[in-house]
Amino acid sequence: MFLTIDTSDPRPIYQQVADGVKELIARGKLAEGAGLPPVRQLAADLGVNLNTIATAYRELQKDGLIVIKHGSGCVVASRAATDRSHDELLRPLRTALTEMVLAGLSSKTILNLVTKELGMVWKESK
Amino acid sequence: MSIDQSAVIIYVLFWIVRINGCFRRGRQPLLRGKEWFFNVHVQPDFYTGDGRKILHRYWMRMFIPFALDIPLAITIFHIGRLGLLQWLIVGLCALIHLNHLYSVELAERQARRFAVPEADQPVTSMALSLTPRRLRDYTNPYLEWVMALSSVVALAWLVRYYLATPEHHNLRLVFGTPLVMLYLQAGYLFLKRALVAWRTPTPRVQAAEHMEAREEARKYYLKVCDWHRAAVAAAIVFWPIALNASPAGLDRLRNIWFAIWLTVTVVGGVLVEIKRRQLAAMAARVRPVTLPDFLHQSDLARSPVCYQPSAPLLLLKGAHGYSLNLANGLAHLGAVYLAGLIVLFALFPLAH
Repeated sequence: MFLTIDTSDPRPIYQQVADGVKELIARGKLAEGAGLPPVRQLAADLGVNLNTIATAYRELQKDGLIVIKHGSGCVVASRAATDRSHDELLRPLRTALTEMVLAGLSSKTILNLVTKELGMVWKESK
Repeated sequence: MSIDQSAVIIYVLFWIVRINGCFRRGRQPLLRGKEWFFNVHVQPDFYTGDGRKILHRYWMRMFIPFALDIPLAITIFHIGRLGLLQWLIVGLCALIHLNHLYSVELAERQARRFAVPEADQPVTSMALSLTPRRLRDYTNPYLEWVMALSSVVALAWLVRYYLATPEHHNLRLVFGTPLVMLYLQAGYLFLKRALVAWRTPTPRVQAAEHMEAREEARKYYLKVCDWHRAAVAAAIVFWPIALNASPAGLDRLRNIWFAIWLTVTVVGGVLVEIKRRQLAAMAARVRPVTLPDFLHQSDLARSPVCYQPSAPLLLLKGAHGYSLNLANGLAHLGAVYLAGLIVLFALFPLAH
């Protein structure tokens, strides 16, 4: 199972790592209770500062997606444990929708795109 | 068979293995065909021009260990202290590997001047494996139990043997060799940990192939470590048996031990060669790429040693070669291991 990191992506590396793990969890490729590599392993494989991966893991922990257990590493958290408010969850969707509107896409196209993406994510997570 | 005779046989075997190694290393630059020189994508006329000289110089450097070995071996045979051949082999093994690493690094650096223009451009996309690598995932529990139990039984037997009549036994003779063997075991475990931590940077293109080649190589090296550990455990078990044997029985035991060792070495050597070929074929299938340097290692690694706590690597690659990161946990473990080895050898003369 791979995460992809792109140097031409404007997002910082820690964000790419966090987003990549989130996507894999959403698609069901990283199941509940699955172990994640230690910070040192990911940092060494990618050749980045230890803090870069630690920041990504902290963000995932803050979002309730992973649990960091001292001594036994990181595991994907139970989905039921995610107690984030709807408003908090809607925030990135609003940002993405704003970007699409500003890019000049029609509401119909946006709706189609969102439906298609949701369908893909939902299908893979089953 | 005397120790001198066995030393000569081991030395002859070492020469056979070395000649094979020379052929293998000689083919390495052209493993991917004429468009490549090791991992450098070179211009089409490389091997007809300057590349020819670089290749010849690389081949010539392979003979440096021979230049040291031959006069030393002649001296050893001349003075008749054939036991020294074993130490010569140990020294040459280290020299051959260091010489090869240096030689490949130098040849690649020289060849980069003739690389195709876009070859040095780092890839923009990398793949990152999310599979945790732990030592226990590469460990055979049955083998570990067998080695641990046999060592404990052998050591318990040695303690009993010594305590029965301590005035008749030399502490160093009874426990010296098994202690060194146990320390070697710890060294192999340390090496295994370093191999598990061995980084796997992977480009997005051919990610699965790159990962498979690296994983196969990792498993091979770990298996070689386990074979050596099994041999060390067998030596620990052999020790109390040897101590208990009569002088005539000891000679027979030593011959049996040597015959088993020789057979295992020859069979193991053939298996290793087959596996090495498979690994080389696997490595040749993946296209080498330059990966982005997020850490700006050339700024961090300006001297042979450095202290960079936030860099997760043991070795940082600078403009003029590698730099050992003293802040890395493996460097600390390595230092502790070396210190322990020195203490062990310092304590030896004190034991009677």
